[in-house]
Amino acid sequence: MLVPLVIVSAWLCQVRFSGLWHDLGKGLEVIRFFFPPDWSSLREMAGPALVTVLLAALATPLGVLLSLGFGLAGARNIAPPWLRTTARALIGVERALPEIIVLLLLVAALGVGPFPGVIALAIGSVGMLGKLFADAIEEIDPKVLESVSCVGATRWQVIRHAVLPEVMPAFLANSIFRFEVNIRASVLLGAVGAGGIGFELSKAMSLLEYERAMMAVLVTLLLVFGAERVSDWLRAKVMDGGRLA
Amino acid sequence: MLHVENLTKKLPDGRLLLDRVSLKVSRGEFVGILGASGAGKSLTLRCILGLTKADSGTATLHTEACGGKSYDLLTCKGREQRNCRRRMGVIFQGFNLVKRLRVLDNVMIGRLARIHPLRSWLYGFTDAEAAEALEALRRVKMDMHADRITGSLSGGEMQRVAIARAIFQKPAIYLADEPIAALDPSNSLGIMKLLAPLAQETPVVGVFHQPEMTARFCTRVVAIKAGRVVYDGDPRLSHNQLQDIYGDELMQVLRPAPTTPEPAIAESSRSLPVLANFA
Repeated sequence: MLVPLVIVSAWLCQVRFSGLWHDLGKGLEVIRFFFPPDWSSLREMAGPALVTVLLAALATPLGVLLSLGFGLAGARNIAPPWLRTTARALIGVERALPEIIVLLLLVAALGVGPFPGVIALAIGSVGMLGKLFADAIEEIDPKVLESVSCVGATRWQVIRHAVLPEVMPAFLANSIFRFEVNIRASVLLGAVGAGGIGFELSKAMSLLEYERAMMAVLVTLLLVFGAERVSDWLRAKVMDGGRLA
Repeated sequence: MLHVENLTKKLPDGRLLLDRVSLKVSRGEFVGILGASGAGKSLTLRCILGLTKADSGTATLHTEACGGKSYDLLTCKGREQRNCRRRMGVIFQGFNLVKRLRVLDNVMIGRLARIHPLRSWLYGFTDAEAAEALEALRRVKMDMHADRITGSLSGGEMQRVAIARAIFQKPAIYLADEPIAALDPSNSLGIMKLLAPLAQETPVVGVFHQPEMTARFCTRVVAIKAGRVVYDGDPRLSHNQLQDIYGDELMQVLRPAPTTPEPAIAESSRSLPVLANFA
């Protein structure tokens, strides 16, 4: 069953191992064009790099707020069944849509630029964070919520004084991780019209300015690596603060 | 103060879980409810709290404050139900505190229904309220732990905090659902020694599994057997009386297990869906 599938796919995808060696040689030749990186363009890259970071920095809190709403609406122990089903379905649909598709739809509606990028990333965060938040909320011991409602608290007071404190560490850690993911996604979205370092990279590639493209790649690596370090450090802090000690 | 009459709860198949349970609790009383597991002790409390819906009967809470208002506990809904619940300080078997909050914040939760929702959202408790919460903690000898994260406390300590929360709530009655079932003997004794003086100001109704504790601390004992009140009176029960109350359970140990399995039922409560605890 699998073997014919692989053969058919290979044929359709024009896989030719015979040419690989030859092409690989050519590829190595091309890579030579990328070196040395165009260090002089570093200064010009700073602006777009900042746009990429700001895009993620703006989209993440927006996405977190949206996800919090979806998380509460999608939690069995908070929301009535019809609301939970609706919220979970929307989260599922969002998760199935890659950010690029959301961005292309938004670019069609709002035009090219960072703003549709921010909205696309914010919406994109809901697919992951909304589900994680809803799951974290559903894991809270129902007896705790029952006991807080037994003092005569309203549903919103139960959310504020029992649900939020219980899920806060998981909530913050996931949000910080999403910021890291959003930096990476922001580079990618930049290439398809959201501006920033991704746009610089795709521009340099299409103008065959390979040294400049290499510089954009290095800046991107730096951004992603930096975001990862910051996110690891922040998450360690949050988890430490939420530790039961 | 609390007047329960003919409280009845049926399973969908018509079997009676509570069969016309009646009990009266007055000022200065510490009433212990005894009975075998599944007799309906906790269920009675859950019905009074509106966590499980009763099929018939009445439960009324009379308060002397504010010109002696009466609350119909079984029919109230929404805001009226929150008003009822605010007047009942509840202590649970599993403590059920918010583990990631500080001890003092958990005590503050007891006042949520008394302050404006907006103020409670901003955690806008006044200094006077905080001092009062600390005083409640002092009463249960937990004031030195006020700033600790609740999840780091031991079971006995958590139950003390839960009692402090109920004290801070300033209820018209305390309802304790097996408050010492999860604790070791010395902690159990400590909790009983806290509840007994409370009862002199505000009546306490507690579900217990330890006849020796109720004999020592309670002013009255109500025994429930298979959903029916079979005894209501002096807390010092004789050996024969205890055998009457727990008899069926003892007999089941000697006889082969009954053929009808225990029904597992999920009972949805009014505000939050939870599994009903029929123990």
